[in-house]
Amino acid sequence: MKPHDASSRPPSRGFWAEAWARYRSRPIGMIALAFVVLLTVVAAFAPAIAGTKPVVCRYKGRLYMPCLGYFNRRWEAPVFTKDRFRGTYPQNLKDKDPDSWAIWPLIFQDPYRRVRDNEWPGRPENPSRDEGRPNAINLFGTDQYGVDVFAKMVHGTTIALLVGFVSMGLAGSIGIIVGAIGGYFGGWVDMLTSRLTEVVMCIPTLVLILALVAVVEKPTIWKTMAIIGATGWTGIARLTRAEFLRLKESEFVMAARAAGAGPVRIMLRHILPNALAPVLVPITFGIAAAILIEGSLSFLGFGPPPPTASWGSILNSARSNLQLWWLVVFPGAGIFLTVLAYNLVGEALQEATDPRLREARK
Amino acid sequence: MATYLLRRFLLGIVTLVVITLIVYGLARNMPGNPLTVQLGESDPSRKLNPEDQRRMLEIYGLDKPWPVGYLQWVSKLVRGDLGRSITRKQPVTKLIGERIGPTVLISGTALILTWLLAIPLGLYASARSGHIDERAVGIGLYVLYSFPAFVAALFLQIIFAVWLRGTSWELPLFGMSDLPSDAAWTARAADIARHAILPVVCQTYVVLAYNSRFIKANLEEVVRQDFIRTARAKGAGPWRVLVRHAFRNTLIPLVTLLGLSLPALVGGSVIIEQIFTWPGMGRLFFESIRERDYPTIMGLTFMFSLLTLAGQLLADLLYGLVDPRVSVD
Repeated sequence: MKPHDASSRPPSRGFWAEAWARYRSRPIGMIALAFVVLLTVVAAFAPAIAGTKPVVCRYKGRLYMPCLGYFNRRWEAPVFTKDRFRGTYPQNLKDKDPDSWAIWPLIFQDPYRRVRDNEWPGRPENPSRDEGRPNAINLFGTDQYGVDVFAKMVHGTTIALLVGFVSMGLAGSIGIIVGAIGGYFGGWVDMLTSRLTEVVMCIPTLVLILALVAVVEKPTIWKTMAIIGATGWTGIARLTRAEFLRLKESEFVMAARAAGAGPVRIMLRHILPNALAPVLVPITFGIAAAILIEGSLSFLGFGPPPPTASWGSILNSARSNLQLWWLVVFPGAGIFLTVLAYNLVGEALQEATDPRLREARK
Repeated sequence: MATYLLRRFLLGIVTLVVITLIVYGLARNMPGNPLTVQLGESDPSRKLNPEDQRRMLEIYGLDKPWPVGYLQWVSKLVRGDLGRSITRKQPVTKLIGERIGPTVLISGTALILTWLLAIPLGLYASARSGHIDERAVGIGLYVLYSFPAFVAALFLQIIFAVWLRGTSWELPLFGMSDLPSDAAWTARAADIARHAILPVVCQTYVVLAYNSRFIKANLEEVVRQDFIRTARAKGAGPWRVLVRHAFRNTLIPLVTLLGLSLPALVGGSVIIEQIFTWPGMGRLFFESIRERDYPTIMGLTFMFSLLTLAGQLLADLLYGLVDPRVSVD
């Protein structure tokens, strides 16, 4: 922050404060936003909500957080590998250190494997195949191999959220850069970027994505996100270009140029902040679209390979087992609600930031 | 007009060349080739020995680097030849000819249904704008719009093919027809229609929700204009104002939308056709990518992008036709 920012209090609310105030007055938009925040919380605390590794445990005189192993295998302390825990904690902790204690996740279920008989003292093995309907232990039932669906869903939340943010972050960056360069410089540069945008727009999205996914040798969730991002920027580029075309003629840009600002500075510091609001709306809708695309890719079997627990891959496993309705209902509802929430956030954002719609409401 | 068309035509050719070049490059760089993917996956013992493989690649012209292959493909295309499918041993045009009918059956029905329902829904929504019934319909449409088609397809399959099995409401799970091809045509038509219901529903509802919301948004923009006030002032009834005065002026964006739905009409939906194993174009594309069947991938890509460009041109031309103020020159 520069010093003069703090000294001169703006007399009226800024654009974003105004937009936020207007956004807050829309209950549906707020509910949708709350849902997205809830998903973020679930994703961040997934190993503490459902897992078979203790959140915190005391073992041989030291404190560990084995649940972090769900985020990254290396974050699980090596002592457990050395003592041959093999991923099962409850019995091993007691056997190998009688003084140990542990705080367990809310739901003792694993997203990657079937919970075995007596793994949790006194609890039978997870049911498999068509016996795994939802019950008190397996809230959302189990899949055909006996893996708990609730645990899979909780851990898949991370992917659903990441897909949206990473791929749209990438698409937004590409779109804004391409659109800004084309709109600001005009002439042959604009001709070139516009043609590029048009070409990518003309290839049907799923065709391009399927071809790209097939090219990638070992698909991972990160490569899928990169591909969705690399194909989804065209709409944002066109909008940014239009905004830059409009704003580059305005007086404040002329003033900045007269003050000696270079093109990069003008684009980043002067035009972009003013062009951001209309671009943010398609980015929000794009997040919903990215989640849909990841879902359909995993559903078609073109997603990242197991054991990545994405919601779409649960649906894929339901395709050949339609009588296991719980494999469709819960992940289906998850994808639907997330997409709906992002669409509603986008809609509310549009009404909060677009002055034309504001007039229409009066 | 002629210079405009010529310019669009030349630009379209450049776009087509770039698109096909990109997709050809991608296709040829996918791991494996039609021979290894097709035979090796199903049965390792049927794997070709390297000598045979090299010979067969030479026959198909796949032994040269991909830019050369692309030039060969283009030179054939210019002579009106889309090539032969490697895995299906048939001309690509024949494959497309076989698959286009089933796809149009689904997407054409869906397109007609969409517009037949979307226009009245949009008119109704803006006539009753703000009333409680319109709010309910609006929320319903919004929910439908956000509902993923592949999830809906699975739900419908569970309801109509699993839960209602044995009742008269049961609908077939997948495929296009269970009857042999020599059955009476009435029975066959009825059978195909029964198989088509679920795919048509899945392909209709998302577009329907989008289109009717689009129509309503456009109508609301028009209704605020001065000529609507004039029409009201001269004593035209509410329906007359809405249909004759307002709706006619929203036709322009609708025509654009119609033009842009042209590629989907023939291209079909990869996901819907895959779920219902419907023998259409989308499924053909999906299979040809999996089989690394380069000629089919290229033939379909060429057709899809040609239709996309044609749809855009059509939309722009119709634009001028519907609105005399717009001139393409």
